[in-house]
Amino acid sequence: MNENMNAGTSFASDLKDRYLLFNIDDTKYGVSLEYVLEIINVQTITQVPGVAHYIKGIINLRGKIIPIIDVRLKLGLPEREYDDKTCIIVLNVNEVQVGVIVDRVSEVVNAENSQLSVPSEVGEATSRYLSSILELEDKIVLIIDCEKFFSSELDYGQF
Amino acid sequence: MSYIDPTMRDMLDTFVHETETMLEQLDEILLESERAGSLSEDHIGGIFRITHTIKGSAAMMGIDGVSNLSHAVEDVFYILRNYPSKLDLVFDTIFDLVFQTSDFLKKELEKLQDQGLDYVPDDPSELIDKLRLQAAILSGESPADRTEDAPGEKAQDGGTETPARYKLHIFFNDDVQMENIRAFMLLSQLQGCCDYLSSDPENPESDPSLSEEIAKNGFIIYCNPLSSIDEVRQTIESSLNVKSYEIVDLLEHSEDEKEGEHAEGQANADLPSASQTAAAQKSSPKNNKQSLISVNQAKLDQLMDLVGEIVTAESMVGSNPDLRGLKLDNFTKSFRELRKLTNELQDIVMSMRMVPLQTTFHKMDRLVRDISKKLSKKAELVSVGGDTEVDKTINDAMVDPFMHMIRNSMDHGIESPEERLAAGKPEVGRITLSARNVGGEIVIEITDDGRGLDAEKILEKAERNGLLTKPISAYTDKEAFTLIMAPGFSTSTEVTEFSGRGVGMDVVRKNVEQIGGTISISSVKGQGTTFTIKIPLTLAIVNGMNISVGKTIFTLPIASISQSFKVNDPKQILRNTNGTEMILIRGECYPIVRLNHYFGIPDGAEDITEGILIQVNNNDSKACIFADELIGEFQVVVKPFPIFFSKYDLKRRGLSGCSILGDGTISLILDSNNLICEL
Repeated sequence: MNENMNAGTSFASDLKDRYLLFNIDDTKYGVSLEYVLEIINVQTITQVPGVAHYIKGIINLRGKIIPIIDVRLKLGLPEREYDDKTCIIVLNVNEVQVGVIVDRVSEVVNAENSQLSVPSEVGEATSRYLSSILELEDKIVLIIDCEKFFSSELDYGQF
Repeated sequence: MSYIDPTMRDMLDTFVHETETMLEQLDEILLESERAGSLSEDHIGGIFRITHTIKGSAAMMGIDGVSNLSHAVEDVFYILRNYPSKLDLVFDTIFDLVFQTSDFLKKELEKLQDQGLDYVPDDPSELIDKLRLQAAILSGESPADRTEDAPGEKAQDGGTETPARYKLHIFFNDDVQMENIRAFMLLSQLQGCCDYLSSDPENPESDPSLSEEIAKNGFIIYCNPLSSIDEVRQTIESSLNVKSYEIVDLLEHSEDEKEGEHAEGQANADLPSASQTAAAQKSSPKNNKQSLISVNQAKLDQLMDLVGEIVTAESMVGSNPDLRGLKLDNFTKSFRELRKLTNELQDIVMSMRMVPLQTTFHKMDRLVRDISKKLSKKAELVSVGGDTEVDKTINDAMVDPFMHMIRNSMDHGIESPEERLAAGKPEVGRITLSARNVGGEIVIEITDDGRGLDAEKILEKAERNGLLTKPISAYTDKEAFTLIMAPGFSTSTEVTEFSGRGVGMDVVRKNVEQIGGTISISSVKGQGTTFTIKIPLTLAIVNGMNISVGKTIFTLPIASISQSFKVNDPKQILRNTNGTEMILIRGECYPIVRLNHYFGIPDGAEDITEGILIQVNNNDSKACIFADELIGEFQVVVKPFPIFFSKYDLKRRGLSGCSILGDGTISLILDSNNLICEL
């Protein structure tokens, strides 16, 4: 599971149209590969007191301190115990590295613009963080907008 | 009394080093330009910047001669920068003048290094006058033909009238380049002590092609000294790049050729000793020069990181689980040696990065001067503790906040002279910039004696901008002052030249917090405002005691720990009326901070007799921290929390950062100051 997602695809321009899909319960979500640094197993997370409940803490990734967010909690879903499928996707959003805990990583898909549609504005907690909806032959994927997803932390202090 | 302020002693080396580097750049530019036969706009800008910087730093050191001279050059290039087309008017002379300036400055620097504080300055007024003339020509006040008022020319005029008594034959150092210019400079130096001067070739400065000839055959000067030939001899010996020279007395020469030759021989015989002393003189400053080298800061950062890694790796070895329970006398001995060495290494690396705040303070000095002129307010800056050293990164990060706060104080704090007099204050406002070392922290205070902050006005404005989170009446003054640092407080309605360039005090706070510092404001209406900034001495490595609370490991800097002890009898614990626990130690009452409650850690020890109390002392507050157990003393590399956490202001909650322990787990570094303040 510790494969480096960038290793196989050296064409940065292609990354944009490719999405890493992961599951939360039975719902499929996707993030653009341009944000993804790597996928790692869940490791010991050091809790940091006094932060939002969805921030599980920090981990030491080869000497770098990286904050970890539980996607379930961020989306307002109930917490679930980590199992061997649970993993952390390490993302790089605006030069800030952050890890997100997901239930399961499934696959990488190519998407064309025709398959993407804009989500309706109204909706519950989840749709606030979506950039588009990807319709594949057999499934529907909710594409997460990383910048929106982390905006409550990242927008602070930007002036 | 020495010429240079003794407090500047430490700055002297830096000044000499920096100026030297800049003069080297200047020469490079000049040589390149002259070779190309033109001065590009970039080069004009370059010369302008260099002389401007030298001017500034020399003025700071109080070396007026150097400063004035650089100023004169700067003025010329200031005009050239704006009107490059005017370059032709002065092109021929300007090179010589700048070269002369450069050499003059170099000589002064050499003297500074040799003589230190007892340095006796030379008078550059002659050069300055010439430069001013050029500036005047450029600005159209003087006809160009007055440039012909050059020393070589003057000497020639007198040539037919006064016969020369001495013939000087001068050779320059090999590969010195631009021999014609050097010859010309020598001529102008000699002008002061001779009433007749001519040379062969004439006007060496006008024709660069003469360089080769002069290099090969030397340069001949005919002169008639005002007093004695010794003065001429001294001048030549003191001038740069002269390899050898001979003096021929023409009167004697004409009488007896052989004696002339003899004289030549004598002069030649004198030469080695002269050049030897010159060499000896030069070698001593050379040694000084090596005392400072400039290193790319990125390399220092790398080195620091590396040392951090070594410290971590070392504790990984020392506390390796494989070694547990083994009796390893030799290993322990070697390991102790290793630890000692890494400690030394660390100290040196840290000290390499330490710079005194003085330079930054001096910049503020200028700022205050400039602003007070612009705003026609009267103010002086008093700086205290400029010798306090901080990490270079911290120093650099503090420049902008300082500037901004001082601008703020000048703009909003200090009143106009009339207002001040009316309020019964001295006419000249005073801004005090002080730095001192308190424990592991540097405390910097910026105090002005201006009108102070008006809590009501601040609250009004904050309300307009929607920054209030509770009713106005619930705000204390201190809370109100803090609002001026809230993002979105400073609005564009009050843009003046100096404060409010789209950045507000929130940026100051941001900058301070980025380097792990805190900032607070206190102010008395009508009496002034004080900004207090506390920043860590260094960002890098602290000696810490690791303590555990449940599964969480905290690191408490050793510097703040007084003692630790177990409580055997729960009855020792007193309860305050509001329910907080306290303990009496040697007649003093200490509040107890239970880390597990404070940070909401569920699995920490609850029974006070099970855990351990650690007494921490800060500047003014004391407390006992309750934790499960002490793990041991470690050196930890401080890593700031990821930017992701900026929003949560962990620093204020009492966490200053985190660090990676030997086994790869993370500990949270406690900041006992803020921890106690939060109580």
